[in-house]
Amino acid sequence: MTTTLALRDCSTMLRRQLRHLQRYPSMTLMLVGMPVIFLLLFVYVLGGTLGAGLGGDRGDYASYITPGILLMTVATSVSGTSVSVAMDMTEGIVARFRTMAIFRPSVLTGHVLAGMVQTLLSVAVVACVALLVGFRPAASVGGWLGALGVIAVFAFALIWLGVALGVSTRSVETASNTPMPLMLLPFLGSGFVPTDSMPTALRWFAEYQPFTPVIETVRGLLMGTPVGGHAVAALVWSAAIAAGSYAWAIRRYNRT
Amino acid sequence: MTTLLAEPARATGPDRVAMTRTRITLGETARQTMILAWRATKKMRRNGEQFFDVTFQPILFTAMFAFIFGGAIAGDVASYLPLMIPGILAQTTLTACMATGVQLREDMDKGVFDRFKSLPIARIAPLAGPMVADLLRYAIAATLTFAMGLLLGYRPGGGVLGVVAGGLVAVVAGWSLAWVFTWVGTIARSAQSVQGISMMIMFPLTFLSNAFVPVETLPGWLAGFVQVNPVSHVVSAVRALANTGSLTADVGWALLGCAVVVAIFAPLSVATFRRRM
Repeated sequence: MTTTLALRDCSTMLRRQLRHLQRYPSMTLMLVGMPVIFLLLFVYVLGGTLGAGLGGDRGDYASYITPGILLMTVATSVSGTSVSVAMDMTEGIVARFRTMAIFRPSVLTGHVLAGMVQTLLSVAVVACVALLVGFRPAASVGGWLGALGVIAVFAFALIWLGVALGVSTRSVETASNTPMPLMLLPFLGSGFVPTDSMPTALRWFAEYQPFTPVIETVRGLLMGTPVGGHAVAALVWSAAIAAGSYAWAIRRYNRT
Repeated sequence: MTTLLAEPARATGPDRVAMTRTRITLGETARQTMILAWRATKKMRRNGEQFFDVTFQPILFTAMFAFIFGGAIAGDVASYLPLMIPGILAQTTLTACMATGVQLREDMDKGVFDRFKSLPIARIAPLAGPMVADLLRYAIAATLTFAMGLLLGYRPGGGVLGVVAGGLVAVVAGWSLAWVFTWVGTIARSAQSVQGISMMIMFPLTFLSNAFVPVETLPGWLAGFVQVNPVSHVVSAVRALANTGSLTADVGWALLGCAVVVAIFAPLSVATFRRRM
């Protein structure tokens, strides 16, 4: 099959998924709602105490947690992609697609691209809310673009993971629950408090898990502080997760 | 051909009284409630997931708040525990009571309540039975939260009596609030909608309280709400009893609030339940 036809099939599947998002906006609202609730909760309820604990105030804390909340938005959207893939797998539409002369991975690619659109829109909305509640970035245009790039690359990796989980599960309920641990990782990293304030064992885990370098890179780019080796670690983690998840998803999809 | 049947003998004397009696005594109501509580307990034993919210939540929340936020909020984990443990205890017991409404709605949808309606039992028994059984779940939540706290280094100044009293206040508060969700269970269309409505009620009430941070650290407009939030009174009551063993005004306010909630929502639940069935 030529590249042109493959691209056309992928864009058709993307259009199908975007139409789903348009017709069922409740999922997107939920994906935006959860991080926004956490943002408001942490800034207004815990922000005074945590801000003081970190040597600042509520405004400083809003700036500190925004990168973590943005990454939580990405993690939340994985659940949406996983559910959407599982619905396709269990409702029989995939069996119909198999009988058609289309580029086989286009079904999954459509989900990934639509997931990217949904995630980046959600990230934009959450970032606007963060600005309203006191987030004050010191980034240049380059910093903003860099942060968006890092978020997009990591989102791409996690969405492929969501697709793999969706293909592998037997029911929509399981697909909804399986990505939940990803939501905890920003908490168990530097998303909400610095890793220095954690007990030794937890600090060790927090420093070496994938979300921490991504959060630190985004924080550095948005706040205009040095990024150090975090950027490389973030990109390596993203590439590893994307490659592993892609291979897993395609293998499971071809087997079913 | 016509068959003539003799007219059935009419019940007379004491038998007739037994047939027409519709009043159920308080003792019978209590006995029927306990039978249905036993049924609910059996259901819990067979569906282990009904214990997830009262086993995993206290352990997960206690560990998470202590280890992740303890150092940042109070400098070290041990200093944060006296503030946090009573807060998590109140939060866990109060959120655990949401399951009551969900379970009730599921039972009503399955039709088992149609069977109960045809039985000569007190109308409140099918509602009160599961509520009594849920006391076990709240007790598990309270015990696990305190146990987890002790493991992490929490040393309550109120001693055993203070801890038990604090636990009892939390359990009573959970049981009282469960009547609200029982009522929601009788008016909602599905178990999912009960879950959604319950979350909308409980999420703001538990998190916009003094459960995790002192009121002084909150912005003015939020502090005003937190001070009148009934959950804050429950948290303060548990905190006072467990940490110092003192019987403060908050204990009175918490128990008064519980009494008011039961006085309003227990009759309301029964009335709606009767109308719906």
